[in-house]
Formats: sequence, structure tokens, C-alpha cells
Amino acid sequence: MTKEYGKWPESGWSSETIDWKKAKRVAAGIDIGTTSTQAAILCDGELFSYASVRNGASFKKAAASALSGAMGSTGLSQKDIHASAATGFGRKHAPFAGTLLDEVHCHAKGARFLFGPEVRTVVDMGAQSVKAIRLYDWDRVRDFMMNDKCATGFGRNVEIICDLLDVPITEIGAKSLEVDSEPEPVSTTCFTFALTETLGLFGEPEFRAAPLTLNEVYASYLFSVAWRVLGVVGKLQPLDVGDIKVYKELAFTGGLAKNPGITKRIESELQVTALESKYDPMLAGAIGAAILA
Amino acid sequence: MDKFKEMIAHRHEYAKAWKARTGGKVVGWFEPYFPEELAYAAGMLPVRVLAEHETDVITDKWMYAACYPVRDIVNLILRGRYDYIDGYVTVEGCQWMFNAFEVADNNKKAPFTHYLFLPDYTDAPTSKDVVRSEFEVLKGKFEAWTGKEITKEALDNAIEVYNKNRRLLRCIYELRRADSPALLGSEAMNIVLASQVMDKAEMNQILEKLLDELEDRKPVGDKIRLMLVGSETFDSRLEELVESLGGNIVIDELDTGSSYFWNETYPQRDRLMALSLRYLGRPHNPIKDSNWRRRPQHIFELSEDYHVDGVIIAKQIYCHLHGTDNYAVWKLLRERNIPFLFFERDTGLPEEDTELRLEAFMNMLRPGLTRLVGWHKAMSL
Repeated sequence: MTKEYGKWPESGWSSETIDWKKAKRVAAGIDIGTTSTQAAILCDGELFSYASVRNGASFKKAAASALSGAMGSTGLSQKDIHASAATGFGRKHAPFAGTLLDEVHCHAKGARFLFGPEVRTVVDMGAQSVKAIRLYDWDRVRDFMMNDKCATGFGRNVEIICDLLDVPITEIGAKSLEVDSEPEPVSTTCFTFALTETLGLFGEPEFRAAPLTLNEVYASYLFSVAWRVLGVVGKLQPLDVGDIKVYKELAFTGGLAKNPGITKRIESELQVTALESKYDPMLAGAIGAAILA
Repeated sequence: MDKFKEMIAHRHEYAKAWKARTGGKVVGWFEPYFPEELAYAAGMLPVRVLAEHETDVITDKWMYAACYPVRDIVNLILRGRYDYIDGYVTVEGCQWMFNAFEVADNNKKAPFTHYLFLPDYTDAPTSKDVVRSEFEVLKGKFEAWTGKEITKEALDNAIEVYNKNRRLLRCIYELRRADSPALLGSEAMNIVLASQVMDKAEMNQILEKLLDELEDRKPVGDKIRLMLVGSETFDSRLEELVESLGGNIVIDELDTGSSYFWNETYPQRDRLMALSLRYLGRPHNPIKDSNWRRRPQHIFELSEDYHVDGVIIAKQIYCHLHGTDNYAVWKLLRERNIPFLFFERDTGLPEEDTELRLEAFMNMLRPGLTRLVGWHKAMSL
């Protein structure tokens, strides 16, 4: 493999209109996930800067790298940050963080920041786990569900399949939607099975009336991922017992939120249109941590 | 309080010492519907066969995809940890547990084994008579095995000792209802578990002394009040994890917890019928609850009585009984707006994973995180 297709490019941004020196409160949040880390800095509740980096072998180094990336060339240093919090799988590896927070609350807070206060259902799809979070219409979590040990590694598996099929992770979702009809999904029991079954789709043209196109293979695989996420969402407390519009005001966060091949299929199954944000949905955890710091 | 935890850790030594001291037999039991009073009246020490999660390389052959506790139990028996036990009795209930009983019996014969039938429909009109006759058969088997008649006086004494134990454990649990209880959930769980492996008369003395001590004990402080529901557990690790995160399990609905001692035997002339009614009337476990569905209501009443902020439902992986029953429990808790957290575990608790869920759940219940920091900004977006 000469090229890595499965990685989202690292990114960073800082506001040109906010002067952090004038801010009464500068708060930093850092979300250390299993494959990538995001840091966000808020000045008086406004997003001032962020950075998203890939993890190496060390959570600690990734955390330091994300934070320094967010501070960038703004002149801000750690001593200027009034409050900081860490969340995510590697949250214990951020020695500079003043508070350690759970991911559920950080994503809930971050989603309302990114998508607006009307968010009632948050589906965070990361590299390792999926969380479905139900919110009250006021500022409080009502219920949440997480995937069990089986079917962990959602996002990471999508990265692997992109590498194996030589398709950029930024494109696989859109390509998977370019199909005339939805093909049969591959296994939804376990991502290892799904992966091998997907590769197996190339090896059986003689058993099919028409061989699958590449886009259909992507669709078959991504539908199985979407189906697994739906299993987690379906266990949530309904908004109102008897109310059929239980998944309205839905927001996706995490890396897989940027994959329309998954999000559009979930929306279609739930018969909703997800909310949109001008910011990267991967930042939700870090922004939520900064709000709660 | 640590003495109860130590007691569970050293329960094999305790039983061996008891045997050496009294010359009596030790009978191991698998299922919560086993009438311990009969064994006690026959001069035996009834001991619940508990799991420990010892490294297991031998049960795959017979028990692939069974829940971890039953595999652990077979593992421990085949490894010889329970060699001091003279006989095993199981009761119709969980089929995995019955499988454990059979595999253990097929591979390591104990001098005495008995299977006791107990109908799944515990509230059916004829159930009490069926169970009474089953208890009579068991009584006869015990008498033949020990060569000693189980007299009415011995049975009365056993019933009284066991009832006293249940009352004392209820007193311990009553203390947990206080706004700031005098003891932690892990301590209470260790007490109940110790009670299932010790001589009840001895345990009663310890409990009486303990209750006196607890009267002067400083409360544990304000913590999030939680209830634990789900598959049986054999240690207090989950409770300890909850406590390390600022919570306290103030009540449980576990077969190894409150359900073990919740109801007493009401004396009547027909002692076996009294026992039959007591065991059929105990809080239902999932397999005995498929028709009348009394368990969800019992869980709800406990949660009300103990003023819990939320309920933790921890199911052992591969526990089909709780897997099928959980939906009825979820439904009722949701209808009554009681927050709950559901997750799967095995005997060896996956700490990091469980900690994350517990922490998020407790933060959900804790009022602190509802502060509106940044909220006004979000509103302006």
C-alpha cells in the first residue's frame, strides 16, 4: 500500500475576528479518541480555534499535538487557558486537563453548540464506539445507549475497508449513494465478518446475474454499518411513548458523521433529515468538553 | 466490614473448618429455590456454589457460549475447589445452571446429587402441592443419606434460624433507606453473599453485633442513590466501581442479593407446605415470571421505597433469562420515567468500559452538569 486512503486529513482553524486577550474566560476541551484527537478553544463561549490530528502510538503525544495545533500561531499558551477538560477513550492521558469528563455529556453539549439548541437526538459515531443520546428539550441528557463489545470499531473498520478497496474515505460515502437500487447488505453481526464478506463480493461474479459494481460493494458495506448504528439508536427512550416521530431533530457527530453513505441511509430508515452544521462534526466532543470545563 | 469480603474469599477454608469441627456434611446448591432449611435440619451446612472467574481452559468442551458464572462454577468444581462438598442439589430453573450441574456430575461424581423440580408457573393453583411433594422427596433423600430422621423440632429450629437471618438482613437493608445510609452497597452485598456460605446460626450472631455497631456508625455521605438489577453476581466489584465514581447502590434486586432473603417462612402445622409457600412466594426471578410478570412491579416498588435516582441493569453475557425479561423491566421503568442504564457484563467486570457508562449515567442524574454554561451562546447560534 503506497497511499493511505482511510484517514481523514488533519485540520486546524482559528478565528480572525476574536481576540483571545479580551476574553474573560478561555476554555479548552480535548477529545482523545482511539484513532484521532480534537482540541477546541472557546473564548467566552465562542469557538476561537480547533485542531484535529491523527493519533500515533501515544495518546499523550496526540493530546499535546492537538492542543498546540489549536493554539497554533494565535499567541495563546497553556497558561492563558483558564479552564480545560478532557474526554474520550484516552482522556486520562491529558495531564494538562483540569477535569475529566464522560463522552456522552460532552457530545451532547457539543452537538447543541454545533447544530443548535433544538437537537434532541445525538448519534456519535466514532472509530471505536457508537453512542446514541436522547436529550430533553432543556439542557439535560435523558437517556443514552452505547454499543456493546460486539460491533466495536465502527469507524476504524470503515478506514480499513477504504484502504483495502483503494477508495478515499472522503469519497466512499458519496460513491455508495450512486447506485440504482440498494444491494443486499453484508453481515451486520460483526465488523470482521462484514469486512471479509465485502471482500468476498468480488470473488463471486459467477453466482450473480450481474456482477456488483464498485459503488454497489461500497453501498452493501456501508448499509451494514448504518444498520448496526440503527440497532443502538432503536434502544433509546422514545421522546414520547406512542409518538412515532421519535428521532426528529437528529444530529450526527464523530468521524462517520462525515460519511453520507452512512448518515443518509440512517436518515432514510428513520425518515428524518439530520441537522447540519458549518463546523466539522468531529469537533463535538472537544467543544462539549470546553463548555463543561 | 472487610471481614465479610474476606469471608467470601476464604469460604472454602471456612466450610472445611466447619466440617472438621462438626463432622457434618456440606451440601452445595446452585439455584435460589433450593430449600436450605431441609439441609440445615438434617445437620448439614448448605453452601451456595459461587463463581470466582478463575482462568478457565477446561469448560469449552461442554459449555461453549454459556454465561461465565456457570462456566466458572464447573471450572471450580472440576479443578477441585469444591472437593469438600459432599453433595449437590439443583432446582429446575436456569438451563445453563442445570447444564453446569450435569457437566459437573458427569465428570466428577459427588457422593450425593439431587435434581428438584419446581414449576415455572409459581403462582398456579397446584404449584404449592407439587413443590411440597418435591420437598418431601428431598427430605427423604437427605434422611436416607445421613441415616438420620429430620424431626419436626429440627425443621422448626431450621425455619426459625433462617427466618431470623432473613429478618436481620432486612434490618441491614432498612438502614440503606436512610437519606445518608450508614453502609455502602458493596458492604451490604458482601454481607448477603457471606450469609449464603456460612452457618446461619453463626451468621446471625455476627449480624446482631453488626447491627449494634452500625447504629453508631457515621453515614457514608450524600451520594447518587442507585438500584442494581439483573443477573446474579458473586462479588461486589460493580458496587465498588459505582462507589469510586460517587454513587451508592442502596438497593438491589438480585438473586444473590435482596431476593435471597426478602420473604420469610410463615409457620404452619404442615412444615413442608410452609416451606413450599415461602419459596414460591419469594420475589420472582425471570424464569419463574413469564406468565404473571410480577418482577417489574417488584423492581418499581423497591426503587420507590429506597428513593433511588436511577437503576442499573447489568446482565451477564449469554444470560437469556434476563435478556428476555429485560424488555418488560425497561418498559415499566420508561412508563414511570425512572432513568436506567443497561449494559452487559461477565463475572470479570470490564472496568474501563463499564466505568465510562456508569460515569455518564451518574452525570446524567447528577444536577451539577445541568448548569447552563455556554447555553446562552448556543441559543444565539
